[in-house]
Amino acid sequence: MRYRIGGLAALAMAAWYLPYQLDSYLIHVANVIILFALLAIGLGLTMGVAGQINLAQVAFFGVAAYATAILTTRAGLGFWTAGLVSLLIAMAIGLLVGTPALRMQSHYLGIVTLGLALAFTNWVTNSQIAGGAEGITAIPAPAFPGVDLSNEYFFYYLELIVFALTMAFALFVVRTPLGRRMRAMRDDSLAAGAVGVEVPMLRMTAFLLGSIYGGIAGVLYAGLIRYVAPETFSIANMFLLLAMVIIGGRQSLVGCVVGAIVLMLLREALIDYPTYAQVAYGSVVVLIVVFAPAGLAGIPRQAVRLARRLGLGPAGAARTPRLGPFQPYPSAGAAEAVDAEKPMLELDGITMNFRGLIALRDVSMTVDPGEIRGIVGPNGSGKTTLFNVVSGLYRPSAGRVTLSGVTVTAARPYRLAQAGVARTFQNLRLFPALTVRENVLVALDRTRVWSSWRYAVWQLGVWRHERTLRDEADEVLARFGLSDFADVTPGALPYGTQRRVEIARAMARRPRLLLLDEPAAGLNGEEVRQLSEIVRSIRASGVTVVVIEHNMALVMSLCDRVTVFASGQIIADGAPTEVARAPQVIEAYLGDSAMSEDVPQTATAEGTR
Amino acid sequence: MQVFLQTVIGGASLGAIYALVALGFSLVYRTMGLVNFSHGNVVMIGAYIASTFYLSAKLPFALAMLIALAVTGAIGIIIERVLRPLENKDFDLMLIGTIGFGIVLEALAIRIWGATGRAVPSPVPAPPLDLFGLRIRTYDLLVLGIAAAASLLLIVFLQRTKRGAAMQAVAMDHEAATAVGIHVGRSNAIAFMFGAALAALAGGLVGPLLYVSPSMGGTLGIKGFAAAILGGFGSVPGAIVGGLAIGVLDSFATGHFQGYSELVTFLVFTVLIMIRPLGIFGERTVNRA
Repeated sequence: MRYRIGGLAALAMAAWYLPYQLDSYLIHVANVIILFALLAIGLGLTMGVAGQINLAQVAFFGVAAYATAILTTRAGLGFWTAGLVSLLIAMAIGLLVGTPALRMQSHYLGIVTLGLALAFTNWVTNSQIAGGAEGITAIPAPAFPGVDLSNEYFFYYLELIVFALTMAFALFVVRTPLGRRMRAMRDDSLAAGAVGVEVPMLRMTAFLLGSIYGGIAGVLYAGLIRYVAPETFSIANMFLLLAMVIIGGRQSLVGCVVGAIVLMLLREALIDYPTYAQVAYGSVVVLIVVFAPAGLAGIPRQAVRLARRLGLGPAGAARTPRLGPFQPYPSAGAAEAVDAEKPMLELDGITMNFRGLIALRDVSMTVDPGEIRGIVGPNGSGKTTLFNVVSGLYRPSAGRVTLSGVTVTAARPYRLAQAGVARTFQNLRLFPALTVRENVLVALDRTRVWSSWRYAVWQLGVWRHERTLRDEADEVLARFGLSDFADVTPGALPYGTQRRVEIARAMARRPRLLLLDEPAAGLNGEEVRQLSEIVRSIRASGVTVVVIEHNMALVMSLCDRVTVFASGQIIADGAPTEVARAPQVIEAYLGDSAMSEDVPQTATAEGTR
Repeated sequence: MQVFLQTVIGGASLGAIYALVALGFSLVYRTMGLVNFSHGNVVMIGAYIASTFYLSAKLPFALAMLIALAVTGAIGIIIERVLRPLENKDFDLMLIGTIGFGIVLEALAIRIWGATGRAVPSPVPAPPLDLFGLRIRTYDLLVLGIAAAASLLLIVFLQRTKRGAAMQAVAMDHEAATAVGIHVGRSNAIAFMFGAALAALAGGLVGPLLYVSPSMGGTLGIKGFAAAILGGFGSVPGAIVGGLAIGVLDSFATGHFQGYSELVTFLVFTVLIMIRPLGIFGERTVNRA
């Protein structure tokens, strides 16, 4: 920590005294580099942190620069007023360009944003008001009492201060709830929705953040160069910007800035050979993507890993981390038990039709509050489809879902999560690039995305909120015996531990209804025993549990009631012992009697284990 | 009506070009799930090679085209080989890797042929046909014919040959394909080679229609990609319909909005794709939780 502060101070000093070493040309270069660094931070936030491919960052930059130019030269506004209005315009454009992200992702989003960026350059090259291909000249220099900002040396300090503030803000965003949610959404938007992250709002926020940085850079550009023309905002420069972010390391904002500085210096060094510069940075992008996907920012970590593999460097931690015992929840008193009048979950005539393939056919069932309900059935009988309908991933073709008497059919996953439904996934969907603690933190945060306005005006409040969340997360991790793994990413953990992390994450939402999709799959005997203890304690704390499971011994001992599915329909429902004897269940699991000689002996063992 | 039909016909030949570009995108995408952002630049390289051999070496147009096809096919194989470690892993990284290749290809073109473009005379000197008062350039007919033939050949290849069936299998499930003994890497390389060859075909044909310049790849690539998405990404008939649609849309935008045609084209495209993200022939894949 002390080193870090020292390094930061040294960096600040160097930046502050840098102009004394530079001639009038180089200070200009430095000023342009800072602008690109700002743009790179914005692109890093949208693309690296939130995972939204944005090839229109250069258009945000252009919109603000052109708006400033037009407002000062044509409308006669002062520079700062024009700058502020331009920033707002850029933000509006950011939201507009971001809307397609609600409907599409990845390469689709890439082409749409790129097309919109092209549309922007097409507009400015043709429009009268934007000065056509010649652009707009004679933008007035920003006025500032006592400082002549038409002097590039003074402008450098203005940019430096803006850069320091915006960089600090971006780092703050990434390390606090908003940024964490964006990273969770980037890693797995489905799971993010299931833990209550409002994915659509968050995608728009990501574009808004990108456009704020593009807008600030654009306003400063207009004030610095005092001339705007279409070619500055071309697709070629967009790709240059993209290269900066990739080469620097898109998931690290510091990396983005380093990438911007490195590429701009490279371009400056090769200014007389622009095509060679282009070949160079294009090839570097390809090499980075193949050999160092985390960019320059990831190289130290890669080096450490390599050193460790070669047996160099410090040996592993002295104490091997260990999965602790689960500490049961304090059981809820009778008073706290949920209103037993209304069923917790009621399904009425649910049908799910995938283009003719009927996965669920007219399924009706009720789950009472405080119950542990088992759902069993052969593979492909519609169990997971049922969970996907209840948790809002699928919109049922027909039927109604009610939660404690409130109809929630086809609500968005995050709405259901906010209404108290939490789930785990059959194939584990933890956020791979977040630590175990962060996985839990994302689920713990019950505030809405719109409350992020506090980032603009009341950062202290955000910070306090973050501290409370961290305390709560430590509690959850301690309860599930995961404290030792708090700071590792889930991919490094044994499978059984990952399963427990997922349950901890689901429980961090303090749900009313918990859906567990094959929680015992891949667990060993001892882990299954622990699981059953955990589920019982969860129920005792007043949470209703529905569990899909193939491990019949677990189902028999754990569940109050069992519902059996076959081919998308309920074929039996009742106490575990009754259900296990029902002839139609035996038939569904083992085939009818005529087929029975074809069923290998192991299947019988599987069914009754 | 006259003007309307003339605009449609004017858009059809460029539309056929977009369709060829879109076919290249789709072929690579359906086989390996990769969007090749350098595709437009491969089109540009194809256009330059074809025009160089046609104009400077005075070879027949068809021969010049064949050389262009061979060279770009080789470029396609190189791109695939370099990016192979990322296949089926990180989609976004591969996408950015192909953007890197695009940057390099464009710079190389400027190095070799200079930053200014060149005009290519039409290889078919016959005068335009007159059909019920509509003027149809003979070269446009040639373009449409070649594009139709290429699409047909591609469909026959994918559906009737063993190699084509193997590529379809890789597209559906690369792990299962490996398990039944299909060499996934080779299958992908062939897809990339064919994709690049289709790009060269589009590039060679577009030379006499537009001006050949290093920056032509950007616009052609983006419009071809837009065509592929509009038709339904990965679908062969979708690419053809989408290409023609973008061509006609472009032609109308140029007719009505002159300089602002690109603005209008991309705005309309954005709206269409927002309404129907999967395109005309797109298939919805179900999220599996």
